[in-house]
Amino acid sequence: MLVVDRHGGLVRVNQAARTLLPGAESGDRLRDTVPAWLHEAHRSISDGSRSTSAGPLSGRINDRLLEAHPTPSDDGDVVWWLLDETDRRLAETALTDARTRTEILSEVSSALLSTLNVPRCMEVAASMAAEHFAEAAVLVAPPHGKRYPLTYACHGGPVRQVTRKIEAAEVPGLTEALRGFPPVPARWINPDDIPGWLIPDGFTGPVGSVIVTPLPGHGVPAGALVLLRSSTEQAFTEGEEVFARLFAARAGAALSAARLYTEQATITGTLMRELLPPTLNRVHGVEYAGGYRAAKDHERIGGDFYDVHPGSDPTQESLVVLGDVAGKGLDAAVLTGKIRNTLHALLPLAEDHQRVLNLLNGALISSHSTRFATLVLASVRRRGGRVQVRLTSAGHLPPLIVRADGTVEEVATGGNLVGVLPAVTTNTVRTVLEPGETCLLYTDGITEARGGPLGDELFGEHRLRRALAECAGMPAEAVVERVQMLTAQWLGAGRHDDMALVAVSAPKTGLLTVVNGHASRQNGRRDM
Amino acid sequence: MTTLPPPEFTLDFVREPGTLTVRVRGDLDYDTSDDALDAVLEQLSAGRAPRDVRLDFGELTWIDSTGLSTLLMIHRRTSTLGATLHLDNRPAVLERMLLMTNVLDHLTAPAADERAGAELEEDGVSGAGAT
Repeated sequence: MLVVDRHGGLVRVNQAARTLLPGAESGDRLRDTVPAWLHEAHRSISDGSRSTSAGPLSGRINDRLLEAHPTPSDDGDVVWWLLDETDRRLAETALTDARTRTEILSEVSSALLSTLNVPRCMEVAASMAAEHFAEAAVLVAPPHGKRYPLTYACHGGPVRQVTRKIEAAEVPGLTEALRGFPPVPARWINPDDIPGWLIPDGFTGPVGSVIVTPLPGHGVPAGALVLLRSSTEQAFTEGEEVFARLFAARAGAALSAARLYTEQATITGTLMRELLPPTLNRVHGVEYAGGYRAAKDHERIGGDFYDVHPGSDPTQESLVVLGDVAGKGLDAAVLTGKIRNTLHALLPLAEDHQRVLNLLNGALISSHSTRFATLVLASVRRRGGRVQVRLTSAGHLPPLIVRADGTVEEVATGGNLVGVLPAVTTNTVRTVLEPGETCLLYTDGITEARGGPLGDELFGEHRLRRALAECAGMPAEAVVERVQMLTAQWLGAGRHDDMALVAVSAPKTGLLTVVNGHASRQNGRRDM
Repeated sequence: MTTLPPPEFTLDFVREPGTLTVRVRGDLDYDTSDDALDAVLEQLSAGRAPRDVRLDFGELTWIDSTGLSTLLMIHRRTSTLGATLHLDNRPAVLERMLLMTNVLDHLTAPAADERAGAELEEDGVSGAGAT
């Protein structure tokens, strides 16, 4: 509290005011004692240009923030009540800062999590860091070999991404940050030690302050973030360092999510490319058509597969394989790959289906799993206008044959599934397809498609047979399309397993028939 | 038919001297097989090994290839324990699958047979405990 007379002379100074204004004594001139804002305010009240009821003024005295309330006394003196507002202001500022930071963090999170693309994620992280709390930000991602993907961002400037060979040890704290160790305090880093490659183009002036902080990922570090300020700006405070770490935690989480997703997508993509069934067409005068519809599950890789291995020349048999591995997902996919490769290697022995299946069975048996596969082998060769087929089922659905007159026959082949039993026994059935006749191999995804008017009924073998009866005389491709269309209609939007099918047809008017002049349709058909 | 919710998958175990009976209810498929296998193997390793293991499928509503794979694994374990597996009250869906894949004889072969044991050795079944 100060009492000041109308001429600006100090009348009284209490103890608190003396602490605030060391050396102030009664009789001193106000203008010599207090800052201008208070002395000006007193003068305007004394000359009547400001009313004392106009409310408090505020200003600084030394490092304190004060609110000054003037009260006039009867003798014309003014009593100045000075209230220290420093702490309240500090608290208010801290609150506003905290609010701003929370807003920034939530903005950062939503921006970062909206992308699962790793480079884009790094770009967003670097540019937001440069925008919100540094003049420049450099994101150093874990290296591919010795080359590090670097993302440079300058405040208000474009983001630049390069991959280059760097010496991480040149930057104080970077090696540690890349290994996920806690950050080195900014004040320990000498800005002069920052190598030129770390300073983005467009960064003005020498580096004044540096933060190097790890980007924590899921178990493994997702990289490190370097924040730079030029020497003309204020150095990073401790609070800013803490905030940078919070930011880095969010960026790291988003980046490692993106990285995991990308890795998984790459693995799935690679497997899918390897496992996708081939496109089929006409080989050695026989028509082949295949159809595959993967399960709609999130595990996109299923266990159905098919292949056609053409004979080395038209007199040799081609081998058709269609099968189904128990289960789904990666395990099933790996087993599918193994089966396809093994069968490919066993092609020279395809003369004897049972032998091939036993060799395959032996290759698949594993002590820790009873995962099995069921499959059908079909050896196909054209003779004149007719197609000779040898069919062997190893625990699989028996093939169906559509005769020219529309009858549908089930091929009476059967045998053990492969991959679990010590040995397998199968029986091979020989048959002949006349021109226009088709043999269909299919997996249980077709007959077990759930849907129909009630929504939960199996498509079933009888519907498949009825559908095939209408396919008499159709080329292989049309048979496959017809069955696929009917099952798709049956399913509607329902869930389904993998569905695979292969049709083998004797062409109605093949080139060979014309060349050889055989009237093949008059030939007997079932005996060879 | 669609209004009825499928029965929850459950296993009930009944222990009698020399015999373990497992009543299987609901769908034995990709979603339930892992748990089912764990539960059965746990029962098999608890207490004295039974001479007969009866799987009662009276209330089985569905089985898929993963379910069959589980039965094959249970059989491996009962064989190493010297127990015979029985598949009782088989519904059509199971019967059809066993017929098609031709494994019924394998699954229900009497375990005392010395020859079967020798075959299983070749089969690499010594490691069947690792599931």
